[in-house]
Amino acid sequence: MASVKELRIRIKSVGNIKQITRAMEMVSSTKLRRFQDRAVSSRPYAEEITGLVSGLAAVLGPEVADKPLFKKGAGDKLCMLLITSDRGLCGAYNTNIFAQLERYIAAAKADGVDEKDIDFLVYGRKGYRYLSKRGLTVEAFLVEPPLENIDFAQAAATSKQLMVRFLDGKYSRVDILYSAFQSMVKYVPRAVPFLPVEQEGVTEGEEASISKDSDVILEPDAETIFDSLIPRYLEIRIYNALLESLTSEYAARRSSMKAATDAATDMQKLLKGQYNRLRQEGITKELLDIVGGVEALK
Amino acid sequence: MAEELTLRVITPERMVVDTAASSVQIPAIDGSMGIFPKHAAMVAALDSGMMTYTAAGQTHSVFVAGGFADVRDNTLRILTPAGEPPEKIDEERARKAEARARERLKPQRSNMTAEEAAIDIVRANAALHRAIMRLKVSQRGRR
Repeated sequence: MASVKELRIRIKSVGNIKQITRAMEMVSSTKLRRFQDRAVSSRPYAEEITGLVSGLAAVLGPEVADKPLFKKGAGDKLCMLLITSDRGLCGAYNTNIFAQLERYIAAAKADGVDEKDIDFLVYGRKGYRYLSKRGLTVEAFLVEPPLENIDFAQAAATSKQLMVRFLDGKYSRVDILYSAFQSMVKYVPRAVPFLPVEQEGVTEGEEASISKDSDVILEPDAETIFDSLIPRYLEIRIYNALLESLTSEYAARRSSMKAATDAATDMQKLLKGQYNRLRQEGITKELLDIVGGVEALK
Repeated sequence: MAEELTLRVITPERMVVDTAASSVQIPAIDGSMGIFPKHAAMVAALDSGMMTYTAAGQTHSVFVAGGFADVRDNTLRILTPAGEPPEKIDEERARKAEARARERLKPQRSNMTAEEAAIDIVRANAALHRAIMRLKVSQRGRR
C-alpha cells in the first residue's frame, strides 16, 4: 500500500497528465475542424471536374480506353502511395493502416508480385519507419512541406510524380492507401487503385453535364480538353485522399485524447478515495493514541 | 436591368468568385474569348492568363492558372488550380519568378541533353508567361 505522501504525488501527476491530454484534445478539435472545412470547400471543384471527365469520356467513347493513362502499365512492379501520420498519440490510426497494408501485400503476393517489387512513396514519418523496419522499398519519403501544411500545389506535384512513374513503364499499377473519413468516429483505411484510371469509376456517379447527343461546344476539341483534364482529375483525387487522411488522423487523435482525459479523471477519483481513506485512518489512529494516553494518566 | 449570367471561379481551396456578371472574358487555349449571358453550352480549356468580368458596371480582373471553363444553364464555371484576384497576388514573388524564368531561357547552359533543354525551355516559358500575367493582373487591380 502506498503511503499518503506517495498518493499525493500520484494524484498530482495524474492531474498534470489530464491537463496535457485535455489541451491536446482541444488542439485536435480545432485542427480537425480546419481540415474538414478544407475538405468541404474542395468539393465543388472535385465534383465539377469529375462531372466533366465523365461527360467527355462519354463523348469520346471507346477511344478513351486506348489512352496510356487508362491502360494497364507495361511493367510488373506495383507502386503505392501510403499516407500515414507524422506523429503518434492518435490511437489505432496508423496501426489500422498498417494492417490494411499487410492485407494489400498479401493480395499482391497472391497475384505473384513479391513484396520487394512494390515501390512505396510515403507521407508521414510513422509510415516511413514502419516500411523501413519491415524492409520494404521506400522510393520517396515526402516530407516537404510537412503533412500538416499540405496544400493543393503539393498534392498536384505528388500526383504528377506518380503519373510520370506510371508512364515510365515500370509499374503495372499505382495504388493509394489512405484513411477514408466516414464520420467523426469512423475512418477506415482503404487501398484504392489510382492508375490506370478506372473507367467505371469515372463514368458512373456524377450526373454527366455533357452527353453524346447534346450539342455542347467543345473548345478546342473533346480530346484536347480530355487530355488536359485527366491530370487535374488525378490531382484532386490525391488532394482529397490527403485531406481525408488528415481529417481522420485528427479525429482519431481527438477521440484517443478524450479517452485518455476520461481515464485520468477516473484514476484521479480512485486515488483521491484511497488517499482520503488512508488519511482518515491516520487521524483515527492518532486520536486513539491520544485518548489512550489520557486514559492511562487517570 | 441588363441580362446577367452567374460566374463562379472555383479552385480546389475555395470559391474565389461567385457573382452575377454581365460579361466575362476568359483566356481560352486558342485565344481570348468573350462570354455573354445566354451563351450556348460550352466546355473550353484555358491557358493561364487574365480573366476579366464586368459585374454591376465595374470591371474586375482575376489571374487564372489554366483550367477549364464550363458554360451551361447561363452559368459559367471556371475550374482552375489557382485563381487569384489582384489583391491576393504576391507581386514580389511574381517578379522573382519572372527573373528566374528569364534566367533559365538564356542559352548558355549546356550541361543537359537537347531533349532536357527543350523541356526546360517549355517549362520556363510557361513559368514566364504565368509570372507576367500575374503582374499584369496585379497592376490592373492597382489602378
